[in-house]
Amino acid sequence: MAPLIRLDNVTIGYGRVALLSGVSLSVEPDDFLAIVGPNGGGKTTLLRALLGTLQPLSGRREQPGPLTVGYVPQRDHVDVLWPLTTGDVVAMGRIPARGAGRRLLPEDERCARAALDRAGLGELWERPFRDLSGGQRQRTLIARALAAEPQLLALDEPTNGMDPAAELSAMDLLRELHGSGQIAVVMISHRLEAVANYAKRLAFVDKEQALWRVGPLPEMLRPEELSRLYGREVLVREEGGRRFVYPVGGGSP
Amino acid sequence: MSAFTDFWDAQLIWRDPLLASVISGGLLGFLGVYVVLRRIVFVSAALTQLSTLGIIVALLVEERLGVEVEHAGVQLLVALAFSAGGALLLGTLGTGRRLPAEAGVGMTYVLAGALVILGANKLIHVAHDLNSLIFGNAVAVPVQDVVILAVAAVVVGLVHTVFRKEVVFVSFDRETAEAMGMNASLWSGVLYFTIGLAIPVAARVVGALPVFAFLTVPAAAALTASSRLKTAFAISTVLGAIAAGAGYLASWTLQVPTGATMVTAAGLLFVGAVLVRVVRE
Repeated sequence: MAPLIRLDNVTIGYGRVALLSGVSLSVEPDDFLAIVGPNGGGKTTLLRALLGTLQPLSGRREQPGPLTVGYVPQRDHVDVLWPLTTGDVVAMGRIPARGAGRRLLPEDERCARAALDRAGLGELWERPFRDLSGGQRQRTLIARALAAEPQLLALDEPTNGMDPAAELSAMDLLRELHGSGQIAVVMISHRLEAVANYAKRLAFVDKEQALWRVGPLPEMLRPEELSRLYGREVLVREEGGRRFVYPVGGGSP
Repeated sequence: MSAFTDFWDAQLIWRDPLLASVISGGLLGFLGVYVVLRRIVFVSAALTQLSTLGIIVALLVEERLGVEVEHAGVQLLVALAFSAGGALLLGTLGTGRRLPAEAGVGMTYVLAGALVILGANKLIHVAHDLNSLIFGNAVAVPVQDVVILAVAAVVVGLVHTVFRKEVVFVSFDRETAEAMGMNASLWSGVLYFTIGLAIPVAARVVGALPVFAFLTVPAAAALTASSRLKTAFAISTVLGAIAAGAGYLASWTLQVPTGATMVTAAGLLFVGAVLVRVVRE
């Protein structure tokens, strides 16, 4: 199976400033990859390089075929000043595929409504986007990405600022979407615990430590790998079928 | 009754300026929704200054170098070049590591404003026109200016009808539009270019102060009164046209400066929109 995207020995950064070097990574069609690292560690830069919106400073990005991407930004990056309905926002996911200057068709609305239904918010189509709760806005943005019928769903900190129940609900939705269709998922999180029960593969990124590691989840959740990422001893425990990650001495990595 | 008869009899004098004012108000009111929602109000102020600077430069070239630019079309082209060039430049300004984009916009505004004053100070023959240029005085508008304005309004209207969804998506959430394969710079450029096109054409008719006002106040009123984007565009266009038309007629009747009256009319409409909102809630 050909990868959707491949980065080959890439250096990422802005201008002439390199953040991270020697990054090699493939995203497969059935991938669920979580990119984890501290805030400001270079995760978003890596995702942008992966999606092709940021040119690598060196190395090569390959995309063997056409690729439909559904993207979910951090929800506080989306301006709630705009007087848009939830349906308006979700229907935007159809725009790139429809093409410049072409009107959205009834089938585009059907597809957008189906995506909102899938995100569990079907009844909120007419509701102003700015009136939604934080969790509902996040689901709306996921619905917009799904409306594009993507091969790759890319999410930037999708659970940031959510309460634990909303975070679990959003992550369960992602697992369901990944499991039910041919959608590869690449998501960024600064909270390892948020992804430890969902991802198939983990990537650790921290520009301060010049750290870049990627591998299958069980391998990456080994205490020695985690200790390298967080610079302190970290324990992983399984309780009730879920993994919990504890830094020794308390707190959350 | 005789006052109305006098006014009606003078329609050959006020018809074209009124029409031009209404078109300017509507056109700028429409674009103002993007200006307010994208939080680029001061970009429009800077572009208005750049457009005025373009006309000053054209007049200076004529007066000092003897190059014939008296023709309105040539002056307008120079103003367009300044405005559209500035629009494309300011549209590409991002927040850098050391300075925010607002610093570039602010510097453009004050530097262009200072150069307008310095340039105007060196102009000998047209000093009396400069007040009208900056503060607006749609008293006498040649037919060709009305035609140019109407053509610009049609072009802007067509572009924003055909490419509305692209411009809205990129304006609302550039990051996602880009990640999903859209050319965000192109669609932002289209928006900035149409703003840069509308400003000098309208500024020539109503002046810089009303242009800045029409790019801000009707949209602020529409967004206060409406919760739907399509409705906000429609309301803002209509309010812009009404403010310009009513302002023009009021200035004619009361014999007060036209530009300032138009801006005041726009302000009153904004107060009305706030009251509508308060009553509705």
